[in-house]
Parts: sequence; C-alpha cells; structure tokens
Amino acid sequence: MFHWLEKHPFFFAVGVFLTVAFAGLVTILPNFAQSSRPVIGTAPYSTLELAGRHVYIKNSCNACHSQLVRPFKSETDRYGHYSLSGEYAYDRPFLWGSKRTGPDLMRVGNYRTTDWHENHMKDPSGVVPGSIMPAYRWMFTNAADIDTAFAEQLTVAQFFSVPYNKPVPMRDGSTMVVKMGSSLADANVLALAEAKVIVEDMKDQDVKDAVANGKIPEIVALIAYLNSLK
Amino acid sequence: MNKIYLWGIVITVAMLGFTYMSVGMSEGGLNGDIVNMLTVAAAISLVVITVFVVIKYVRQMQTDTADGQLADEQWDGVGEYLNEVPKGWAIMFLLTMVWGMWYFIAGYPVNSYSQIGEYNEDVAVHNAKFEAQYASITGDRLVEMGESVFIAECKICHGLKADGIDGKAANLNQRIEAKTVKFAIENGSNNHLLGSEMPMPDRNGLFNTNTGSLITDAEIDVVSAYVANGMTGTGADVFVGTCAACHGEDGKGMEYVAPSVATFSPALVTNILNHGKKGAIGKMPAFDRLNAKQKEAVGAYITSLSN
Repeated sequence: MFHWLEKHPFFFAVGVFLTVAFAGLVTILPNFAQSSRPVIGTAPYSTLELAGRHVYIKNSCNACHSQLVRPFKSETDRYGHYSLSGEYAYDRPFLWGSKRTGPDLMRVGNYRTTDWHENHMKDPSGVVPGSIMPAYRWMFTNAADIDTAFAEQLTVAQFFSVPYNKPVPMRDGSTMVVKMGSSLADANVLALAEAKVIVEDMKDQDVKDAVANGKIPEIVALIAYLNSLK
Repeated sequence: MNKIYLWGIVITVAMLGFTYMSVGMSEGGLNGDIVNMLTVAAAISLVVITVFVVIKYVRQMQTDTADGQLADEQWDGVGEYLNEVPKGWAIMFLLTMVWGMWYFIAGYPVNSYSQIGEYNEDVAVHNAKFEAQYASITGDRLVEMGESVFIAECKICHGLKADGIDGKAANLNQRIEAKTVKFAIENGSNNHLLGSEMPMPDRNGLFNTNTGSLITDAEIDVVSAYVANGMTGTGADVFVGTCAACHGEDGKGMEYVAPSVATFSPALVTNILNHGKKGAIGKMPAFDRLNAKQKEAVGAYITSLSN
C-alpha cells in the first residue's frame, strides 16, 4: 500500500492532508467548542442595545477603547473580572480592539451610569479633566437605526440560533428573556420602551422630548449598549 | 599502506601539536588544574575520533559496493533497496514513539502552567503583601490611602476636589446637600445605607408630630436647608418633630434604624460603596470590587473632608 502511495503523489498528498486535518480536529475542536459557548450570565443584545452597538462601531469607539480585560492584577483591579471567550458569544463582530487610547470598556456598565455617560459624551473634559476624547454632540440629535438592529437580530436568530425570546440562564440562577419583535413595527415599539427607561435618568430636555415623541436619538441607544456591558 | 592513513596521522599530529601549543603558550598553560586537564583530554579525543570516523567513511566510499534487492519502482533512475530497517534504528524509532506518548501524557506538564493560574498566584501574592503592609493602618495613613483610592476610582464623577463637578455628582465636602434631603423626603429612600432593607417612607409617610399632620412643602424646604447647613439655622423644630424619631435629635442616626445625616462615617461610606445609591442627582453604581480596607479608607477620607 505504501509503495502504491509513493507512486501516486496526488493520493499521497490527500492522505497527508486527511491525517493532519484529523489530528487538528481532535486536538482543537473539543476545547474550542467548550470555551466559545456563552458563559452563564451572557445574554443576547436587545434591539436598542444592538442599535447602540452599531453607533459604537460607526463612530469607531473601538479604535481607542478595547473590550478585553486581560488576566493581570492591575487590570482586574481597575476593570473587574478578566474576560472569558464565552462572553463574546453574541458579539458579531467582537470589539476587542488593539489599542487603549482610552480605558477598556468590557465592563463599563458596572461602574458608570446613564447620567455620567450623558455628561461625558456631551463634554468629556467636563467630567474627566485632561481627557483627549472628543465630544460626540451629534449623537444627541441623530436618530438611532432601529431597523438595521432588528434586521441583525432576525439574521443572527435564524442563522446562528441566538436565543431571542428564549430563557437565558443568569448568574444568580434565574433566567432572563431578551425579546425580539415579531415585526419591524413591533421591534420599534420594544426599542422605544427600552429607550424610555434610559431617558428617565437623563437630563437633556431635547433627548427626553424626542423619546416622548417616539424618536430615539443615537445617544440613548449607545448608553443602553454601554450599560449592558457587564 | 593507503595514502589516507598517512594523511590521517599527519592531520592528527598537526592538530594535537596545535592544541599543545595553543594551551601551553596561553596564560596558566598546562598546569595540574582539573578543568584544564579535562579540556585538553576532550580536545585530544575529539581530534582522534574525528580523524578515525572520517577515515572510516572515506574508505567505505572507496571500496563499498551496493547489494540487496531493488524495489520495483524507481524515480528518474533512482531506485530503492528492499533492505530490512537497521535494527538499532528501528529500536530507536519505536522507543521514540513510546517516549512521545509518555511525554504527551505524563512527561510534559501539559497543565502545570496556565495563564489564569499565574494570575491567581499573582493576586494571592499581592493580597498577602497588601495584608502585611496595610491591614492595620489607621488615622492619617488610612486617610492617605483613601485619598489615593478616591483619585483612582471616585474622582471620575465626584471630581478631584470631591465637589461633584458642578452638581454632576454629590459634593462630598459636606455631608448632604439641600436638594438631596428634599429628594429623599419627597420620594423616600431605600439605599441599604445601613445594610438593612428598611426603607425610608416618602412624604406621604412622614408626619410632623409638632403639627400632627403630614410634612408640608414649606417644612420640607426649611428642614432641607437645616440639614444641609450641618444641623444649624431654622428648622430644628421640624427636624425634631419629623426626622428625629429615626435619625436622632442630633441627626447622627441610630444603628440599624437610620444613617447619620449630620456626619459621614466610614461605615456609612462602606455601605454606599457596597450597594450603590440612587438619589437626587442620579444613580451611583456599587464599587464592591474594592477590598474592605480600601472601602474603610475611602470612608475615612470622605469623613475627613467635611470635618
């Protein structure tokens, strides 16, 4: 058989490929499948949070802010528990970032609040003296793109089985259901309901008025997203 | 005698001579030092073995002829013998496989290093160092530690001077601001400030025993100003009538019942750091990732600001 293989280089190459591929599969796949499963406490993004994530990406927040806490004492003291790969299970794409011009935002929802974000996005150096982060005032007037967020929800629910409208286990043993609208109009209603909770803690009257009138400014979606980072 | 042996002897003698000269003429030279002698011995054996091996293989190339059965296939005229695998080689090959399995399963400590393990060790070392250096500090040193923790964790909202940055967060240079008192009276409060679940009722549950009726708007304004001024000025009667039952006549609170509204204390601050707080200005998140000593230190620092 080996002499036959030696005389047929094509089949020899196929044999080598199969051997190496099989070895790779059995060494890599089980571990990979294990660690990329969502961690308990990781829930899919709601419509408004997903719209906020799009705002985050659109404004290249990830160019200056990472979302990955490394297992070093100095980092976990500052940002909280180090990141686990399963925590990114619903991130498409993940926003690890590669450079920290600003601080890491992996768990910013644990230690910053809605009203702080509002002050900060309007005038960063007003709350953080010496900050070089620019102000993002247009987010207070631009409308968030709920339609695209809903489209993404539909896609990931269908193709990646992201568990919308299904119970997701939480750390305290309870379960949580992240709702996804059954239609575009329904999704907008859900997002608006979320936005109303956020603006209760906001001060900007124009933003409050916009939400009261059924419009959702980008800042509200972004804050919803940042608050969800825990 | 073959020329090759002659050359072998010439080269051996030349190299040994060179070795003798280079060692003998160097500082120290051929003394009785054991390391020196070992080195020289090694140099001699290297020369002899090298020459012997080279001669053997050169001889073999000169005289050897191929034998054995050729395999059927050949590649551009290059054939392959159907010889047995050399025994020594085969044994080494099998032993290598056995060694490989042992190395994979037991020999190489596959799980003896992990990044998280290193992190855990690192944290344990830091915590032990922290315990050793800071577990028992009190007084000024505690306040100093509190200030540095404050600068790292709290100044982002409360500002470097702890003044709350123009009302964006609580001004910690005084115990409480009038608007905060007013908000708590109107909306009640349940911030676990004493670690207990007991809430403070809103204005529909606050009776002024002096007048025998619910607290009024005017009374709220007066008593808010009174508390914010450090329990001075007008409004003492409203405070005594409405608030003192829980907060005490001097406003210093009662254990397990109500927190002090007159002064900060490390215990009060620790509770806020543990549970966060929602009040007139907004929501403060919990900072329970600080350790117990750091919370106490922040408490000591904040207490020192208003004394």
